[in-house]
Order: sequence, then C-alpha cells, then structure tokens
Amino acid sequence: MTTTSATLTDRYIDAVLRRLPSHQRPDIERELRASVADAIDDRVEAGADRVEAERVVLTELGDPAKLAAGYADRPFYLIGPELFQDYIRLLTTLVAVVVPIVSTVVALTNVLQDDPIGTVIGATIGAALTTGVHVAFWTTLLFAVLERIPAEHRPPSRQWTLAALPVPPSRRVRYAELVSVTVAVVLFSTAILLSPVISPESDAAGNPIGILSPWLWETGIVYVFIGLVILSLGNAFSRYYGPKRAWLAIVGALVDIAPPIVLAWLATNDHLLNPAFVEAAGWTPAMRWIELGLVISAGISILSAIVEAVRRIRTP
Amino acid sequence: MDDELLSAHLQELRRGTVVLACLIILRRPNYGYALLDLLEHHGFAVDANTLYPLLRRLEKQGLLTSDWNTEESRPRKFYRTSDEGVALAEALEQDWTNLDTAFRTLKDES
Repeated sequence: MTTTSATLTDRYIDAVLRRLPSHQRPDIERELRASVADAIDDRVEAGADRVEAERVVLTELGDPAKLAAGYADRPFYLIGPELFQDYIRLLTTLVAVVVPIVSTVVALTNVLQDDPIGTVIGATIGAALTTGVHVAFWTTLLFAVLERIPAEHRPPSRQWTLAALPVPPSRRVRYAELVSVTVAVVLFSTAILLSPVISPESDAAGNPIGILSPWLWETGIVYVFIGLVILSLGNAFSRYYGPKRAWLAIVGALVDIAPPIVLAWLATNDHLLNPAFVEAAGWTPAMRWIELGLVISAGISILSAIVEAVRRIRTP
Repeated sequence: MDDELLSAHLQELRRGTVVLACLIILRRPNYGYALLDLLEHHGFAVDANTLYPLLRRLEKQGLLTSDWNTEESRPRKFYRTSDEGVALAEALEQDWTNLDTAFRTLKDES
C-alpha cells in the first residue's frame, strides 16, 4: 500500500471520528477500517488498481459528516419534531405577550419623562427588538437543551386527549356579549359627552363642574377618543359577523389597543380630569393613585386585546 | 416521472425492509462488508453508509449481538440476530405477508 492511499483512508476515518463522541470512537474506527479494507480488497481481487479502488470505495461511502450523523447517538439538529410544536407555541406566545408589554411600559415611561416624540419612538422600537431577541434566544436555548436530555429524564409532555379540543363558544353566548358591549359603549360615550353638564360638584355660581378636563373639548380629543371607542365596537361586530382573517384580527387588535393607549397618555399628562373638579371633590391627595390605576387598567386592556388577537389568528 | 421524487418514495417504502433482511441473514453471524455483499446479492439495495450505522442501532436496541473475531489477520465485528431480534423478524415477516395480501386484494378489486 502506498503512503498516499493509506492517508486517504486515514483522513476519511479521522473525518468521521472527529464528529463522534469519544466513547464511540475506538470501536467504530476498528470496524470501519475493516469494512473499508474489505471493500478495497474485493475490488482489487476483481482486477482493479488498489489506489483507484480506495478512491471508489471512499467515494461510495460518501460525506463523512453524514456517515457520522448515522453513527451518532445524539441529534444532529437543534430542535427535533417531538419538541418543535411546543417550541413554536411557547415562542409565539411569549413574543406576542412580553414584547408589547415591555414596549408599552418603555413608551409610557418615556412619555412620563416628557421626552421628545422621536426619543420615545426610538426607545420603544429598541426595547421591542431587544426583548424579542432575548425571548427568542432563551426559549431556543431551553429547547435545544431539552432536546439533548435523554427522553426518560425529560419532563413528560402532556398526553393529548379529546378534551383538549377547543370548545367554540355558542352563538347565543357571543351574541349576549355583543349586546352588552354595545350597551356599555353607548352608556360610556353618553356619560363622557354629558359630563360637562351633569356633575355632583358645582361652582360658586351653581354651574356644574365637569369631571373631565375642558382641555379635551378645546382640542377635540374627546371626539377622537369616542371615535376610537366606537371603532372598537365595530371591531366587536366584525368579530361576530365578519370572516376570520388574520389581518382582520391584527387590525382589530390595533383598534382595541388604541383607546387604552390614549387613555393612559391622557392620564399621565394630567389632561384627563378637570383640575377644578379634583379640587372641589377633594381628590388632590389621591391623584397619583388614580393615574396609576388608570395606567394599569389600560395595560390590562392592551394585554387582553393582544391575547384575543392571538387566539383569533390561531382558531381556524 | 420526477427521479428525485421516485427515489425519495422508494427509499421511504424500503426503509424497514433492510432491517428485516438483516435480521434474517444474521441468524448466521456475519460482518459488515459481507452482509452488504449478501444484501446486494439478494436484491436489497442499500448503501454502506446506511448499513453500518444501522447495524449499530439494531445492536443498541438489543436486536443484534456482536463479537469481535480476532482469529484472522483482519479483526472483524461479527453480528448475530438475538432472540429478541428473531421474534421481531417473525412479527415483521408476518406484517409483510399481510401487506402483500392487502395489496393483492386491493388490485383485484380495482
């Protein structure tokens, strides 16, 4: 055997072994060497040139990486089919929930600090991206590690049963929901529009002091807000009557998110309540808490709109 | 017909047959290259780079046992079908027969 030909087989076997865990190596090397030598001998006996025979045999064995993948008892993929579904489910849920929350908190914090709008947008986008990357990375790492734990040590994956099938809410229940949402929106809008004239507090001249800031009427923002609320009512109707489309769900979520965001912005900028009313009602010491409560409930509304949208996209 | 599609489906269809053929042949102990030769001779198309890892997997599953034969100048790993392997082979053979019958009746009906 010439030096060059010996090297070719050696190099091939090295290339295979390098990719295998060390405890598998000695036995596989010994067997593989014998198999390659057998195959070469067979060809030589049939009249082939030894060097040429070696080339043919090794070429037939193919890419050492693939052969090693066949031998290895560990996966050659990051996340296998068994965990893939769970991985995607957790990842999308986390991204859909965590990223909007963090972005909203960052945006509100910046707004509270009276930062210019450019800074607010920049910081919000930055926070959303960083959060998304973190969520994706850590989730992927977790599942890649899980994939490498032997099956018997893994936490048992939930056994699927028929009971796990989602129950479509009956049309009647959903209709009742729709009616109550409509009534609520009408009452809410009427209350807002009437608030300047109907109020428990009145000034020295006996004129009522509206609970909401007059600034809202001066700027017309109150009408924008009511418009947004009515839009989200339209969204409730489209959810009931409209076709199921992913884009409709996304637009719906945006429409649902808009009023709480406006509300939180108004509350944090002291544009919501009428200062005269606050003073007359003796609410001044509690103002911080009222603001905080409004911001938190706005946050909850935003969250529930997102959860609803995700559910809408997922149910066929 | 699309060659790639055909070979992908053929591979899918033949996947288990090589296992069964190995379990049958290895009732008499033999080593990797000789087995490859025998399989080819009997008309089972299989690549060396599929067969060698497969033998180790079957051994790990307890369907084959192995021994190193160092009596000759070239030491070789001899595989032999275990009792469990024999039982599995019988079950697979039975299934193969059932499938064959099923296909025949299917073709007769259509």
